[in-house]
Amino acid sequence: MIRGENLTKRYGKHCALDAVNFSVRQGEILGFLGPNGAGKSTVMNIITGYLSATEGDVWINDLNVLEHPREVKKCIGYLPEKPPLYPDMTVREYLRFVAEIKGIKKKAFEAEREKIQELVKIGDVRDRLIGNLSKGYQQRVGLAQALIGSPPLLILDEPTVGLDPKQILEIRNLIRSLGKEHTIILSSHILPEVSAVCGRVLIINKGRIVASDSPENLSQRLMGTGKIMLRLSGEESRARSVLEKLEGLNRLSCTGSSEEGSIDFLIEAEKETDIRERIFFACAENGLPILMMRPVDMSLEDIFLHLTTDEKLKELE
Amino acid sequence: MQAVFKRELRAYFLSPLGYIFLSIFLLITGIFFTTGNLISGNSRYLSFLGSILFIFIFIVPLLTMRLLSDEKQKKTDQLLLTSPLGIPEIVVGKFLAALTFFCIGLAVTFLYALVIALHGELDLWETLGGYIGFILLGGTFISVGLFISGLTENQITAAITSFAALLAMWLVNILQNAVPSDAASGLVFSGLMVAAAALWFYLITRNRIVSAALLVLGAAIVFLIHFLDPEFYVGLIGKILSWFSLIDRYRRFSTGIVSLQDTVYYLSFMIFFLYLTVRTLEKRRWN
Repeated sequence: MIRGENLTKRYGKHCALDAVNFSVRQGEILGFLGPNGAGKSTVMNIITGYLSATEGDVWINDLNVLEHPREVKKCIGYLPEKPPLYPDMTVREYLRFVAEIKGIKKKAFEAEREKIQELVKIGDVRDRLIGNLSKGYQQRVGLAQALIGSPPLLILDEPTVGLDPKQILEIRNLIRSLGKEHTIILSSHILPEVSAVCGRVLIINKGRIVASDSPENLSQRLMGTGKIMLRLSGEESRARSVLEKLEGLNRLSCTGSSEEGSIDFLIEAEKETDIRERIFFACAENGLPILMMRPVDMSLEDIFLHLTTDEKLKELE
Repeated sequence: MQAVFKRELRAYFLSPLGYIFLSIFLLITGIFFTTGNLISGNSRYLSFLGSILFIFIFIVPLLTMRLLSDEKQKKTDQLLLTSPLGIPEIVVGKFLAALTFFCIGLAVTFLYALVIALHGELDLWETLGGYIGFILLGGTFISVGLFISGLTENQITAAITSFAALLAMWLVNILQNAVPSDAASGLVFSGLMVAAAALWFYLITRNRIVSAALLVLGAAIVFLIHFLDPEFYVGLIGKILSWFSLIDRYRRFSTGIVSLQDTVYYLSFMIFFLYLTVRTLEKRRWN
């Protein structure tokens, strides 16, 4: 449905995007993952026609954004990073204005509005000024705006930023249910968010795509270097002697004690090995009760480190 | 276009800016009317209209300052520019909204005309001509203000720059009579214009050869004209300056003459600046 070919965007000498290629199929939920300033918003702005690429083209349903702006823009609903809201309008007026600029007939919109208000739960604030709404509600109004006219393609730039945890879950569920009828591209700098919603993830760093895979495969690749946090009841020296003998152990470090009579370890296994069962049996044999064992969540920085060092290794080979 | 027009017009009535515009405009025109017509017992309405002309220079920037700069600052331009609307529709919608609000302010001054009509003699056609001229002049001022508002994202910068630009167009009148009108100065002026054009071309293309060729070609044409028609350069600077003199053309309207030439001048001026505004918005996508 969407094809981005060789997208490059330069601001003077600074290169925000460097020859990015990607494609999105009909009905897919694609996540752009990357730290701030990686170029996620730039890609989205180029797809929607707000910016133009220095080089390269975007094709939506085989139409070029620059050649057929009206047709292409009609089939996109866009929620930018900062929701484009007029603080001096009420929610109702604002949604009507958006419907008008999208060229939607009044009657068709009246029916649709009820549905959208229901979906994003803004029915109770519809007569309030947007400027007086909380950030969470503003974000929802921004989402409602993107849904008007039910465009086949939704582009959501950090849709959950600034929301509280409950709202984040609601919006994620909403996006997942929207994914049944729409093709969705969303961006985020939070890994769990992307893996919870998206069928495929593109990781962008410094204007380049460094990885493109399903979240499951990505996390599997990352499991190889998984760190495990372990809390044992017992003395440090004895626990250390047991753990050090483990097969497939890469590194072991003691992180001190946070509960009385217990000791915490950070264990790093060798690549592609699941060491957890061995830890369990070794500790059980030696009478060291395991109080807690959990994999340490991979932060985005870890993934980048991982991916970039991986690439360096390949280059060396 | 309609949606943008309606939103902008509504915004004037909901923001303090619209009311500040109206109150300043009506206060000053009220003072002029009271002192110039009521107290002095003068029934010449056109002298009043001519005297309030300069107020537009101060208050039109109030109307135009936020039209485009605010959208950029609040990032709402992302909504407009990614909607199926074309940029010309957005620009024209905003222009018409500002012009309509301007005309609403102007319409209140009909009350003054009514006072004159009741207590003195009002020349209907002269007055009508004066108002048509006002609408055209207001439109050109608004198009300049709109263009400047599209260049920045700061409302205050937009307002001050628009004010300076409109003031410069007013000063052109005075300058016109002061600049030298002999052939030599006209020749030098043309030479400078050619050099500036070549420099500008070099700055945007960084192409030395073509720029130099342009310079030589321009200089050749300037000299050729000098030998073929020496009269051409007499009073040239004044003539060129008068192209930018918006207010000078109003004088004819204020005598009740609605000439096609002046109307076309104002309309093409507006269209030119609206076109420039559209181009700047389009260009913004590329940097």
